[in-house]
Amino acid sequence: MAAPVCMEYRIEGNNFMVAGTASNNIKNTLKMLGIQSDVCRRAAVIAYEAEINLVIHANGGILKAVISEDKLEISTEDEGPGIPDIDQAMTEGYTTASNQAREMGFGAGMGLPNIKRNSDLFEIESTPGVGTKLISTVFFNK
Amino acid sequence: MKIKDLCEKLNADVHATGDPERDVTKAAAGDLLSFIIGTVSEGSAWITIQAHLNVAAVAVLKDIPVIILASGRKAPPDLIERCRTENICVASVSESIFGTCKRLSDLGING
Repeated sequence: MAAPVCMEYRIEGNNFMVAGTASNNIKNTLKMLGIQSDVCRRAAVIAYEAEINLVIHANGGILKAVISEDKLEISTEDEGPGIPDIDQAMTEGYTTASNQAREMGFGAGMGLPNIKRNSDLFEIESTPGVGTKLISTVFFNK
Repeated sequence: MKIKDLCEKLNADVHATGDPERDVTKAAAGDLLSFIIGTVSEGSAWITIQAHLNVAAVAVLKDIPVIILASGRKAPPDLIERCRTENICVASVSESIFGTCKRLSDLGING
């Protein structure tokens, strides 16, 4: 692969009905590029959970996927409320999702743990009142 | 068990057939989407009472070939449409999640 393939999506906040469209697009692009299926599956989970986080918690934001020679990097950036305690947010079962989101089955408190579990590298940075940045990397041929 | 046989045995109201000949040997039940994403084995049947478009998104993500909507939940048109596009079977049963799990277990399909 010569140049990295970049995909960037602006995700709308609180629009549950289109949630998942961007991550599905990323998954299909990876498949089209012939990326190994295990990576495609992990990337699909990472992208979906990251996209849903933007929808339900951050009032929207940017979801990016960059595919280069040896790795895939999925990142998000938002100007949402931020996460005061990242360790707590990483605990399975902990959620701050709204009642509306929970009624639809979101807010299991497994979004970030699912992302981390499927990543080779996982970085998250958040400032309350400013926003959150997340970078997840998956290496090929591992 | 083939998806078409499974739907028949459950007396399911099938909204989209998916791949009726595909075999299913495992199942999972749950209404929390991320829990299903994190725990379900690919290729499993999924029993849930969540009946909206994002259920299809999760099914695509985890290669779930059949979604069974329990307790008489009906699939809205956009969910049916998406399942047709993605070749996923979506069907409603009148029984509860618990009852459906028992029926599946009796048919040799387990978690």
